Amino acid sequence: MTTIGQLVFSGILIGSIYALMSIGLTLIFGVLRIVNFAHGEFLMIAMYGVWAITRYLGLNPYFAVVAVVPAMFLFGALIHRLIINPGLNKPHLMVVFATMGLSILMQNVALMLFSADLFDVPPMLGGRSFTIGPFYAKPELLIGFAVAVACTLALRFMLNATYLGKAIRATVQDGEAAQLMGIPVPRIFLVTFAGGSALVGLAACMMMPLFSVFPTVGLNFVLIAFVIVVLGGMGSIEGALLGGICIGIVQSISSYYIAPAVGQMFFFILFLLVMVFRPAGLFGRKGEATIGIND
Amino acid sequence: MGVAPLGAKARASRWQLMPGRGTVSLFELVLLAIFVALVAIRLPQNLQDVVIQTFLWAGLALAWNIAGGYAGLISFGHAAFFGLGAYTSSILSVNYGVTPWIGLWLGGLLSAAFAAMLTLICARLRGPFFILSTLAASEVIRIGALNWATLTGGAEGFAILPIPSVANMIFASKTPYAALILGYLVIVYVISKVVEGSRYGFYLFAVRDDEDAASAAGVNPLLVRTGAMCLSAFLTAIGGSLFAQYFLFLDPTHVISPELSFQFALLPALGGLGTAIGPVLGSIAITPLSEMLRSYFGGGAAGLHLAIYGGVLVVVMLYFPSGIAGALERLVYRGKIRHDRAP
Repeated sequence: MTTIGQLVFSGILIGSIYALMSIGLTLIFGVLRIVNFAHGEFLMIAMYGVWAITRYLGLNPYFAVVAVVPAMFLFGALIHRLIINPGLNKPHLMVVFATMGLSILMQNVALMLFSADLFDVPPMLGGRSFTIGPFYAKPELLIGFAVAVACTLALRFMLNATYLGKAIRATVQDGEAAQLMGIPVPRIFLVTFAGGSALVGLAACMMMPLFSVFPTVGLNFVLIAFVIVVLGGMGSIEGALLGGICIGIVQSISSYYIAPAVGQMFFFILFLLVMVFRPAGLFGRKGEATIGIND
Repeated sequence: MGVAPLGAKARASRWQLMPGRGTVSLFELVLLAIFVALVAIRLPQNLQDVVIQTFLWAGLALAWNIAGGYAGLISFGHAAFFGLGAYTSSILSVNYGVTPWIGLWLGGLLSAAFAAMLTLICARLRGPFFILSTLAASEVIRIGALNWATLTGGAEGFAILPIPSVANMIFASKTPYAALILGYLVIVYVISKVVEGSRYGFYLFAVRDDEDAASAAGVNPLLVRTGAMCLSAFLTAIGGSLFAQYFLFLDPTHVISPELSFQFALLPALGGLGTAIGPVLGSIAITPLSEMLRSYFGGGAAGLHLAIYGGVLVVVMLYFPSGIAGALERLVYRGKIRHDRAP
């Protein structure tokens, strides 16, 4: 019983960190209606950034937030300006392939710069664990969980209560009408894309103490992120958090009782099952996946 | 079909300078002649290898294009079909002594059956949802192949003993491989041309461009889509078997990788989606370049060829969305009107 409890507990913690990584993707999808296939590579360069700051400035990886998040915001704005925006009025496919090309480009530039070696940062507190009631947890996981929950709440508050949030929601509901009401839709797209990229930067700061970074690290995580985003209902922020936690629990239980590799297979099968029976995701609106988005 | 402007005289001839739907063009014949010459003349081994890979990738890109270009079913899971084909024929030949000449058809059928299942499941999904589902399905196959080690050799890989004989489909020199794979390319190309000129091809284009209108006109979108996916998977699997016979080594992380699926999709995107000549041009532009860069720079600049590839792809997608084929066509037909082509 305690084993199951511990597995679920660890699953929730790791899942929340996966969710943090997926929130940016779901935000971009929800507003711009595009899938950024280079999302994993955004995570990868942000992780290299955190690693470099820790390695060369000797700072704690969590302090890297100050530099990495704004840098990723600017990077996102640049990519939006150069690649996403020119592709928005073209067929949906063009953005898919352009971001795919970007992902290949970034992966291989990283391979040339950093080689295929794995880079780590030293663990906090010498790798010791806390005990909370009957459960054990790494401090890195607890920090990640707290940041993920705080980030979800803050984003929800921002979307509901601020002018920018209202403008974003208006753009999602009806872009043309929003434009006519004086909302600068192109700028909303820019801010959303850059903001989604900044969130990946934040996720990278939380993940760097837990995972190694290497040029193709993004591919592993982006597949998990896609699964989470779809599970949660594409574009739903709370959905992404819940989806992430589901995936975390499935992964930790199946890798303990079966085998780590099979754990991965489980969530792809889960993903396909959701696509078959609830294409709008567990928490998404009905009809989302079947209506012709961006067709 | 494009509507010819009033007064323009439609050309009666089915012979054209540039490739079009349902016609045979001078361009294609010249290209074929060059390909045959490349097989026939005695090139150095490393160049022959580049030629073989260019043919193989062109064939695979064409196979992907039947689903992705003609039917609009953008799949990032074709590596699963490729892997199923490669593993089926190899396992049958190594473990059960079935010649790959038979095994490749069985791999193709298995793959087509899997494709039918996948399409029936995912057919109602659109855009990114369909793409991600195919990606997930191919990951399931990859992880399955990795863990079913008694059958596939798992992560250690599956080696085919190099005993040259025609029955084993293993040859001592590269020339028969080049001829075999050129044969594959030509067959896939002819199938593509027949499909795009046929009634079925028009059903595909109709479903791709406007599903509601197509089904109102009496086309069954599900049936049409499933057919395209099965044909595409079948041809991809045969390419996989040929790949296995040429390289004689398979492992799941390379043969069923998402990267491989992306490659299948990106070559047609680069060359010109939904045209038969596009995927071939894409492979001619990219495969020799990446092979040369790989051999010149070796380990010194690992990733350089793919970095260039990625950069080129971004630029092409943004500025030449109809790919190399479209750019070439614009160059040749500057200001002139073509009658044999849909707008």
